[in-house]
Amino acid sequence: MRKVYSIGLVNTIRFLRERSNIFFVFLLPLLIILLLGAMYGTGFDSKVGVHVADAGGPLADSLVAAVEDLQEMSVTRYDDAGSMSDAVQRGTVDGGFTIPAGYDADLAAGEVVEVVFSGRVTDQTSMLLAEAVRGAVASEAEPIRAARFVEHQGLASFEEALPIAAGLADDESGRITVVYREAGDSPFEEFEGLGNFDFGSSQELVLFMFLTSLAGSASLIQTRRLGVARRMLSTPTSTRVILGGETLGRYSIALVQGVYIMVGTLVLFRVDWGDPVGAVAIVAVFALVGAAGAMLMGALFSNDQQAGSLGVLLGLGLAALGGAMAPIELFPESMKNLAKLTPHAWAIDGFAELTRRNGNITDILPHLGVLAAFAAAFMLLGAWRLRRVLTR
Amino acid sequence: MAAVTIALKDLRQRIRDHSAFLWGIVAPFGLALVFSLILGNVADPSSFDVSYAVVDLDGGEMGRVFVDEILMPISKAGPLGEEGFFDLVVVTSEAAAETMAENGDVDAAIIVPSGFTDAVNSGAPSAVTVVGNVNSPTLAEVARSIASGYADEVNTVRTSVFSLVVLQGEMPDEAEMSVLAAAARAEPAPLVVGDDPAASKILSAQTFYAAGMAIMFLFLAVQFGVLGLLEEKQNGTMARLLAAPISRTSIVAGKALTSFVIGISSMAVLVVGTTFLLNASWGNSVGVAILVLAGVLSAMGIMFFVAAFAKTPEQAGNLQAIIAFLLAMLGGTFFPVYQAGGLLGKLSLLTPHAWFLRGLGDLTGEGTIGAVFPAALYVVAFGVVTGLLAQFRLGKAVAP
Repeated sequence: MRKVYSIGLVNTIRFLRERSNIFFVFLLPLLIILLLGAMYGTGFDSKVGVHVADAGGPLADSLVAAVEDLQEMSVTRYDDAGSMSDAVQRGTVDGGFTIPAGYDADLAAGEVVEVVFSGRVTDQTSMLLAEAVRGAVASEAEPIRAARFVEHQGLASFEEALPIAAGLADDESGRITVVYREAGDSPFEEFEGLGNFDFGSSQELVLFMFLTSLAGSASLIQTRRLGVARRMLSTPTSTRVILGGETLGRYSIALVQGVYIMVGTLVLFRVDWGDPVGAVAIVAVFALVGAAGAMLMGALFSNDQQAGSLGVLLGLGLAALGGAMAPIELFPESMKNLAKLTPHAWAIDGFAELTRRNGNITDILPHLGVLAAFAAAFMLLGAWRLRRVLTR
Repeated sequence: MAAVTIALKDLRQRIRDHSAFLWGIVAPFGLALVFSLILGNVADPSSFDVSYAVVDLDGGEMGRVFVDEILMPISKAGPLGEEGFFDLVVVTSEAAAETMAENGDVDAAIIVPSGFTDAVNSGAPSAVTVVGNVNSPTLAEVARSIASGYADEVNTVRTSVFSLVVLQGEMPDEAEMSVLAAAARAEPAPLVVGDDPAASKILSAQTFYAAGMAIMFLFLAVQFGVLGLLEEKQNGTMARLLAAPISRTSIVAGKALTSFVIGISSMAVLVVGTTFLLNASWGNSVGVAILVLAGVLSAMGIMFFVAAFAKTPEQAGNLQAIIAFLLAMLGGTFFPVYQAGGLLGKLSLLTPHAWFLRGLGDLTGEGTIGAVFPAALYVVAFGVVTGLLAQFRLGKAVAP
């Protein structure tokens, strides 16, 4: 047992001495969680650009205010038409609307004024936004049209009638309204009420623990290539002990990284991890899955570059498949089933059980069991293969 | 000539150990495949079948107008036939309509309340209810805006008539009322919303993931040539190369050529492969070729820079990996960081990755080869600047 421990320790030291590993293990995960929080933390509001072609006026201001009052919409003002059109095309905003020069004067003069909405053709979000803007414009037009009607009936001028019409239009009693409500079960219901960083954190945690572990498989390959393994074998040390030591090295790094990300996000971003015992249990078992996976990779390949590139491919690919880049709830049906074959999906669902469904350790026992089975399977395959390559 | 010999030897070596093939082609292709499998459909909703249910509990004039003159004409049951926007299911009970929306049989149910016509005529409040299925928020929203459009019209006519009543100071009788309402309805809308369709410069999901992964791994794949400089030194073969009648420039050029060939060929395979297998649409091939060339030069520039400052090939490889991942992440190869706008958007535009993707977007949106030049120019400039900076230090790498 002492041998296992010392092999593991040497392994860990060798890993940490490489400064770039510190970056990938400790800095990059938090940077990405920060980036995701900054990008999506503000929510998923539609973004609309507004450009007033001249200095504007009270009616123009009122139209802008009506758009700003729309629900679930964030408004950006643009000073020139060019940059707004660029923003629409590139997706910085989902659509832009332009209030033409002389808007106030033309409306007062009884002309028909055209405001222009520019959206991306074939883009669903743009289409939806166009409808919302049309709605705001229609409400804005109501008192103006009423005042014109009064003027045309010869009873008062437009200027005299407008305040009266506006007052009536603002009077909520006695109006026809549209009440909207949703029905049915949403896969997103659980995500409501999550903080800025809550959603991405558990996913990044499993992504990075597994990715780092696989990247560490290079160290087992070095142990073999440099002849260290063979020399250890010539001493009274079994392959099982070598494998155990190497696994312990990977395991301790994955575990430290997992706990570090958990504590780091808790302190820096106030991420809610739910029941601490359950959360640490998932990290502990998942670290074992990563370490065992690394052993399997290290046993299968004999070249660091090969293991490195496939490690990145598998580390990111399995993470994506397991729902660490986008929630599984969004996947097509067939991919949802495939996702269950990744350890990531089980770990992420375990975290979801703890945070979104307020579970505790007993609720995640099935998850822990499946993860342990993954670890055992990887470990057995790795040991079998490693015994063959080491004693060849 | 010596440069070509060196490059050919390096390339043979890289082909034999598969590493360039794995980094340059297998990894990016595999990730693009996974991403487009799981996310391709989410980002790219194709045609959908829209259907709404409507129930008219009113039975009066206003309810009839809404169903027969507003909804019917644009539905598939109307004169448009199959060109109509949605299937319209007319049901008779509120509960039935709600159940359909709840089960997702329809995207939304619109309920016209009983007494709707009376409320409109007497100036009492009344509400049309739209029940949207929670999983079709967009289509439910369209149903809501159709209903709102009708409500707006009704409210406007009412505001018009009552403004007149307020000014007159007396309530007209029913006959006069309906004459006024007809006149108010005839008053043209003062504001119209014009449509100015914008070309989309946003790449399709399949293209985005293919291009994003390709450019990210390009920065890792080019290391196999340039890092050779440090490997030769570590293995002691640099001294032997220098002792041979080969100029220093040829040695550097040979390594650069290796990177260039690996970069161009892996990108070429990825562009063609993702086009045919993953349904990515990169756009005009000349424009894509220009951007790929710019991308390869940019990646080589950074690689030379890293090689010039690193001591061992391992150190350089690790540093390049850090830089490649950081630039890729910030450049928006995994998710569109630029679209976030603000400071993050500006930072993103410092990376060649963001410009590479932007160049592809410009190519798709504008459709002319010339559209890629601003982006390609930035991407190349990134490589030239870093490459030139490397020249000051590269001397130490090409020394015994």
